Amino acid sequence: MNPRTTVFDRRRFLQVGAAGGAAVVLSTAVGAQPALGAKRSDLRVYVLVADGANPAEVEPLLMPRLATLRREGTWFGNARSLPVMETIPNHVMMMTGVRPDRSGVPANSVFDRRENVVRDLDRPGDLRFPTVIERLNATGATTGTVLSKEYLFGIFGTRATYRWEPEPVLPVTGHAPDAFTMDAAIAMVDEFDPNLVFVNLGDIDRVGHSDLTGPVLQAARKAALASSDLQIGRFVDHLKATGRWKRSIVVVLADHSMDWSLVTNFVSVAQILSARPDLRDNVQIAQNGGADLLYWTGGTDRRDAALEEIRRLVLAHPGVLSVQRPDQLRLGAEAGDLVCFARAGWRFSDTTPVSNPIPGNHGHPATEPIPFLVSGGHPVVRRGVVGSEPARTLDVAPTVGALFGLGAPRGGYDGTARTSAFTRLPAR
Amino acid sequence: MAVTHDGQCVTEPSAPFPRRTALQLAAAAGAGAAVAAVPSRAGAAPARKPPASAVPRFLHGVASGDPLPDAVVLWTRVTPRPGDDPGSGLGPVVDVIWEMSADRQFRRIARSGTVRTGPDRDHTVKVDATRLAPGTWYFYRFRCQGVTSPVARTRTAPALDATVARLRMAVVSCANWQAGWFTAYRHLAKRQDLDVVLHLGDYVYEYAPGEYQARDVVVRPHDPPREMTVLADYRRRHAQYKTDPDLQALHAVAPWVVTWDDHESANDAWAEGAENHTPGIEGEWRQRRSFAQQAYAEWMPVRYEVGGQLYRRLQFGRLANLSMLDLRTYRDEQVGSPVDPALGAPDRTITGPEQFDFLLDGLADDQVQWKLVGNPVMITPVRFPNALDTRLAAGVGALVDAPVPPVGGVPYNVDQWDGYPVERAKVLGHLRDRGIRDTVFLTGDIHSGWACDLPIDGLTYPVNGNSVGVELVCTSVTSDNLDDITNSPPRTTSLAAETAFKANNPHIKYLDFDSHGFSVLEVTPSGAQMDWYVLTDRTDPNAAAIHSVSYRVPAGTQKVQPAPRKLA
Repeated sequence: MNPRTTVFDRRRFLQVGAAGGAAVVLSTAVGAQPALGAKRSDLRVYVLVADGANPAEVEPLLMPRLATLRREGTWFGNARSLPVMETIPNHVMMMTGVRPDRSGVPANSVFDRRENVVRDLDRPGDLRFPTVIERLNATGATTGTVLSKEYLFGIFGTRATYRWEPEPVLPVTGHAPDAFTMDAAIAMVDEFDPNLVFVNLGDIDRVGHSDLTGPVLQAARKAALASSDLQIGRFVDHLKATGRWKRSIVVVLADHSMDWSLVTNFVSVAQILSARPDLRDNVQIAQNGGADLLYWTGGTDRRDAALEEIRRLVLAHPGVLSVQRPDQLRLGAEAGDLVCFARAGWRFSDTTPVSNPIPGNHGHPATEPIPFLVSGGHPVVRRGVVGSEPARTLDVAPTVGALFGLGAPRGGYDGTARTSAFTRLPAR
Repeated sequence: MAVTHDGQCVTEPSAPFPRRTALQLAAAAGAGAAVAAVPSRAGAAPARKPPASAVPRFLHGVASGDPLPDAVVLWTRVTPRPGDDPGSGLGPVVDVIWEMSADRQFRRIARSGTVRTGPDRDHTVKVDATRLAPGTWYFYRFRCQGVTSPVARTRTAPALDATVARLRMAVVSCANWQAGWFTAYRHLAKRQDLDVVLHLGDYVYEYAPGEYQARDVVVRPHDPPREMTVLADYRRRHAQYKTDPDLQALHAVAPWVVTWDDHESANDAWAEGAENHTPGIEGEWRQRRSFAQQAYAEWMPVRYEVGGQLYRRLQFGRLANLSMLDLRTYRDEQVGSPVDPALGAPDRTITGPEQFDFLLDGLADDQVQWKLVGNPVMITPVRFPNALDTRLAAGVGALVDAPVPPVGGVPYNVDQWDGYPVERAKVLGHLRDRGIRDTVFLTGDIHSGWACDLPIDGLTYPVNGNSVGVELVCTSVTSDNLDDITNSPPRTTSLAAETAFKANNPHIKYLDFDSHGFSVLEVTPSGAQMDWYVLTDRTDPNAAAIHSVSYRVPAGTQKVQPAPRKLA
């Protein structure tokens, strides 16, 4: 089938077929050509993010397809997300391999001092470090992004050779269901066959956020886990059915896991500071579920003493685990002046007690454990291995880079190439 | 580690017979203690007569311990001349040469040195051999005046960042000389697969003959023939235990990692006293404890000297760290009853503040996968079932050395972490708050085998099974357990107690109140598994060890489950 093409601005929009006869609209940079006839590496790497999954959930009864990939590949049993354990910063770390103090992306939500507003980091310009996507493109390889969440589509922007804009996006959640996301991923592979495809599957996370049975049973979430597993299975089956499996390396991981709180278990920093207008009126709060970022907006002469006092007051709350400086976590200036983490079973709700009523949250250390596996049909994949290495989200870019023979970026990676997942690196 | 140590040699007359109540089980059973007519084995006699020759002898074996990637502690005791007995304060200062080699024939010496020892440290020799290669087997020996010690082997820990496919360790505790033979040690010594031997405490017992033995039978009497209360007593008791050939054999096959529990000093010890210590009559507690600790430092292959801290951490590559705890030196006094309101005091501590921080730091180490804790007493919450008959309830009370709680549902043993619930909640909360996975508490003390989940919330656990870690408990090498206390045949009356405990505590998956023996733990990136082995008869020097049961902890689950087969 030939894609229907529309040129708009500097992008081309391509409407291609998908399973069930639905149409998928992909965009590409003007001048980029489909794979046909291009001289590129045979290697295909697919990074699939099961957004919000917990490693303990990858078990045969709940997620049989992931469990099979795990069994047939290398599983990193000590894998963790990195602060702040939110979606945008960890996807950025995956694709840059560097910490937020170098990428400029420490959290989902920050206080933008220049614009004087609390906002999501969802603009392409918010990410100031080159991603492995652009760096691969520069070598002649092609790349694709299939990201189910609008803010992810926003921050990665037009970096990839081929992009899918999430559609249909559900109201409230701001994401496209996994079935549509996977339709798009399959269509992109069929139509353009990029060397690297970066996919975010949002259902596990989005259902987890709203699962009212979360504190005890996580009943709704379990259904989402099974559904997402099915979609990943669809993708693998498609690679196999189309003869791509033997040149495919599949990396499956999560950006963070999830923790649930009772409706009463919230921490409101604004409420804590309400009796101290001298502090409250000089602080901006960027709420990130299990984490709050605090920004001092008052005079510099009072800053140190005020922050110490805020720290003392916030730490006294039973739901607060820690209050740290951003530099202790390598979060950079965008993270403000203090980073507050919740205990397990608690969430932040700012600036009002009803600002964050959802039971499922992440961002705090309880949500650090993630699944992280490397599998696929490529002969270099090491099979049936479980490793203790401390794999992290920011190890994805160095690993992908090593597979494609890409050198380290300027200043080097902060992550580590997890080459123990391979018997050798693929020939180039 | 320098061996010169300003030890004090004290040879006071034996202390008066101490008062002891809770464990006078033989008397409760209506039988007096008696020395058993069990055939003596080589090395089992309480005081071996030295040969008439005046050459130095290595009568107490050799040992190693606390492996680091580049170092390991080597240990022996030299008897320079006949009569230079442990605890005697007699004997000259001598030089002892230590040697390490990659081959048993010592064709090439990898490391060596000379150490001076004398009566100030009871002629024990302890060397921290450094600049070794990581993850490497070494043979070692000692020489003194032309006499060579037995050769033994040891192994350094893997490099800190090494990928480690497997760590296998013996796990033992509670070896009461008077209660039987150390056949558990012998069976372990025959294995060729141990990287480490983990001893969780009660390596020696303080009692006099007749005070605590195998039910009412003293299989072999303690030396000195009195409760140890002074330095010479503690030294002699350690020396007696180290004449056991099975103990020597197990020390010779792999490095040990040890901690003490209470009986290395006195029963139910705490910071300022012990249940089995009578102030005044038996001296002041701090002095008695310093004697016990000095003898321990002298006689154990451990990186510890008096005045230091026993709690410490070892690491085995990226696979695991092992935090060894001292839960006797810093703890608050045990409450008198499990319903004492003081139990819930927010500042009650079993670890002491510094060790508490040390423990939390080790658990939070995200550079290693498994967080193992050498934990002398159980941390699992255990509620006393109210369905036990009176006799069984009294027996369990005696096992844990505490009165039977007046109502079901209260903690059954306040000498364990159950007696310090606020601090335990902080530890378990730390695991949950930090998303810490793959934590395994390895425990002794309680003379019974257990495999337990560690629920963060006892109310919701039966519904969701959520657990933040696990605890695996080895049984005693010889010390009395429930069938011994109730004077019942093994695996008869105790079965009812086990059933009631498990029903009342659904997070307890395995419980064997009766058997003696040992455990073997294997840790790999995909899981941890413990095999429990039980002895056919602890009073039989030729007893067999039979595999009893295995439980596994799949990585990332924080839950125990039955393992289909024992470790290969």
